Amino acid sequence: MKKYSMEVTVGIFIFIGLLFVGYLTVKLGKMELVGSNYYTIFANFDTIGGLKKDSSVRMAGVEIGRVGEIKLDIDSLTARIAMKIRKGVPIQEDAIASVKTNGLIGDKYVSISPGGSEDLLGDGDVLTDTEPPIDIESLLGKYVFGSVKK
Amino acid sequence: MMQPQEQSATSAPLDFFAGIGRRAFNFIGELGAVTIFFLHGLFLIFSLPFQFKKIVQHIYFIGVKSVLIISLIGLFTGMVLGLQGYYSLVKFGSEGLLGAAVALSLIRELGPVLAALMIIGRAGSSIAAEIGIMRISEQIDALDTMDINPVRYLISPRIAASIIVFPLLTAFFDVIGIVGGYLTGVVMLQINSGIFMNSIYSSVEWADVSEGFIKSFVFAAIVSTICCYEGYFTHMRPGGFGARGVSLATTSAVVISCVLVLIADYVLTSFLM
Amino acid sequence: MTDNTAKKPFIEFRNVTKRFGDRTILDNVNVSIYRGEITAIIGKSGVGKSVFLKHIIGLMKPDSGEILFEGRPLAGMKRNEWTAFKRSVSYMFQQNALFDSLNVFENIALPLRERTSMKDREIREKVQQKLEQFEIEEVLDKYPSQISGGMQKRVALARALVTDPEIILFDEPTTGLDPLRKNAVLAMIAHHQREIGFTAVMVSHDIPDVFFISNRVAIIENKKVPFQGTPVELEQSDNEVVRQFLLGQESLKDELTGLLTKHELERLLNSELARMGQYQNRLTLILFTINDLKQVREKIGYILEQRLVQCLGMMLKKHFGMIGTSARYDTCSIVTVLPHTDKERAVKHLERLKKEMQEMALLKADKYPKSCVDISVMAGIASTDRPVTIESLVREAKNEQQLMARLSCSGNGVKE
Repeated sequence: MKKYSMEVTVGIFIFIGLLFVGYLTVKLGKMELVGSNYYTIFANFDTIGGLKKDSSVRMAGVEIGRVGEIKLDIDSLTARIAMKIRKGVPIQEDAIASVKTNGLIGDKYVSISPGGSEDLLGDGDVLTDTEPPIDIESLLGKYVFGSVKK
Repeated sequence: MMQPQEQSATSAPLDFFAGIGRRAFNFIGELGAVTIFFLHGLFLIFSLPFQFKKIVQHIYFIGVKSVLIISLIGLFTGMVLGLQGYYSLVKFGSEGLLGAAVALSLIRELGPVLAALMIIGRAGSSIAAEIGIMRISEQIDALDTMDINPVRYLISPRIAASIIVFPLLTAFFDVIGIVGGYLTGVVMLQINSGIFMNSIYSSVEWADVSEGFIKSFVFAAIVSTICCYEGYFTHMRPGGFGARGVSLATTSAVVISCVLVLIADYVLTSFLM
Repeated sequence: MTDNTAKKPFIEFRNVTKRFGDRTILDNVNVSIYRGEITAIIGKSGVGKSVFLKHIIGLMKPDSGEILFEGRPLAGMKRNEWTAFKRSVSYMFQQNALFDSLNVFENIALPLRERTSMKDREIREKVQQKLEQFEIEEVLDKYPSQISGGMQKRVALARALVTDPEIILFDEPTTGLDPLRKNAVLAMIAHHQREIGFTAVMVSHDIPDVFFISNRVAIIENKKVPFQGTPVELEQSDNEVVRQFLLGQESLKDELTGLLTKHELERLLNSELARMGQYQNRLTLILFTINDLKQVREKIGYILEQRLVQCLGMMLKKHFGMIGTSARYDTCSIVTVLPHTDKERAVKHLERLKKEMQEMALLKADKYPKSCVDISVMAGIASTDRPVTIESLVREAKNEQQLMARLSCSGNGVKE
């Protein structure tokens, strides 16, 4: 250990430490390094069943954004969620948003299926076609009591 | 014969409450003293001339010398998390989430807490002992007579070094822990490596990472302050002088810092969730 | 130096009281310390001598009363005044309080590094100079725990002196040292005090060695200061508390030489002199003095200086052990009292002693191959058949002193 001076070892330590910190914050934490790269659209769901802020928003299984604020829409008594979509990803007016689950009990996420319309949603627009998550409990109930077709 | 009994009967409940009151009073006093001590030390970090060399020395002592133990503990924690997580998740067919489970528990909870506990054991105890010995051998008084502020000379560099070192060691712990989880999950238990890594990438949020780092900063402040405080005021400790006082100071530095780290962890988790 | 009434005290304790809980340590203490003097604070262990010293530098605060520095109370000083005062004071701790994680060089350099804006090179030079002065160059890269107690003391002394302080407070600078090194440390302090002229306050219980070097003495006894004054005044004091204290504190034998102390000698002599009236006896006193001790110290070192005194003492004890008593009189003189002996017999004894002394190993030139020193041992005889005071006898002997043995630099020393 005498070969290297204390300053050098401390320098190496801090350098590697900062690399790890960088990995955690930028790569895993997805810290937004430069400004906002997102636009926000809204959608109303009958129920969101366990969806949380910062859950991912995917199209064709590829993450294209994150769920923003979630609140109850007092007029329609439905869940209103904001979705931050990466700029450059087009969402059509008639696209369908649905809440899905990773695996049987995994994280909830919003899946957006593209529509056919020419009109794209912009910042602050509302996506109207939504599908609530599959209710596993009722599905199980139906299976047990035999009302699901084989 | 009756009289003393009667007397104790009437004063016992009062004594009991007086005892509680006294303890509460002492506790709050102590809390205030520790806070002032910390702020004093923190403030003097920025006094000129900047004690760069001493901070580097303490980073070396607290940080560099803890890398090995932190890496080792991190690796095994990650591995055991991988193993435990796998057997729990496989029951639900969700072993694809193993990466997320390992990474999240490391980054949010185990990284900062276990790193802090390891540093307390490795460096905190020796900080308390070193400063305690300096106190009982009058070295701190000697500094004072030389008009060298002992808090600035002894405490500030340690607090500064801790604040730099804790997050770095936590990052070491997290990353190596994830590698450990990868070893058990992917290499041993044959989970697809893409699924494993992807579940990490998709589940870890900025909020998780920042929570981990906020915790590590708070722990740095707690650990460095308590360990320095216990050593610095070794001579005020009732019932322990000389070497015995130092040993008591070291013990209570370790115990109090551990307890406070865990309490602070709970409080922070509930606030940051 | 002695005319204190005209001078204003440099540091003054005025009605200082200090308590720990309900235990009073100092009770209404008044002490004056004068600029450029060595003031010894003596007292039994545990009477609060260290507490007294710690008050000067503010490590402790009095419960009542005040401490004045040049007439200004310490407690009322402004921040920058206090800092300036503190920087002019050095404190040498009882257990040295060397920084055990720093090596000797760093220990001495620390006060310069931390509170002056001196360049690294200047600091190095200054420390080097102190290292040389205290003969500790060879240990500069050792850690305090690796060096001997005597060395540690010297390092602590070097550290205290490196900032050129105006005031140095010594808390038992000689504890834990053997008599030889104890006296060496005291001589070192006295020497530097004369050279630099700092004001020294020294807590000690090395009686009487500390009297030889101090200008003033204050006794702390039973929470009070029953006496303060010069060592001569102390010896003549008829205050009962002081006399009792001295009797209790002073050991019968001088630690360095193993001879009697001056006090014991006086007692003995007085009883001899009293008896003289009854039995027509003669009594002879021989005063031995080692000259040029200062030169020895400068050229060779403190330890050797003390060893010379020690050797002389041992020789006298061997020679006169059967017929007389010897006692250390001051730093470099020893007095031998020969009762029932007249001057002629004493001269004969001295003749024989002279031969022996010339053979003394310490007076051989080959003992000091590197340096050239002049050392001479003088002896003088005074004889009486009437009761007289010891001072007059010593004075008489001093006038009679002749050369006994000598190591001459130009003669049989190293040729230049």
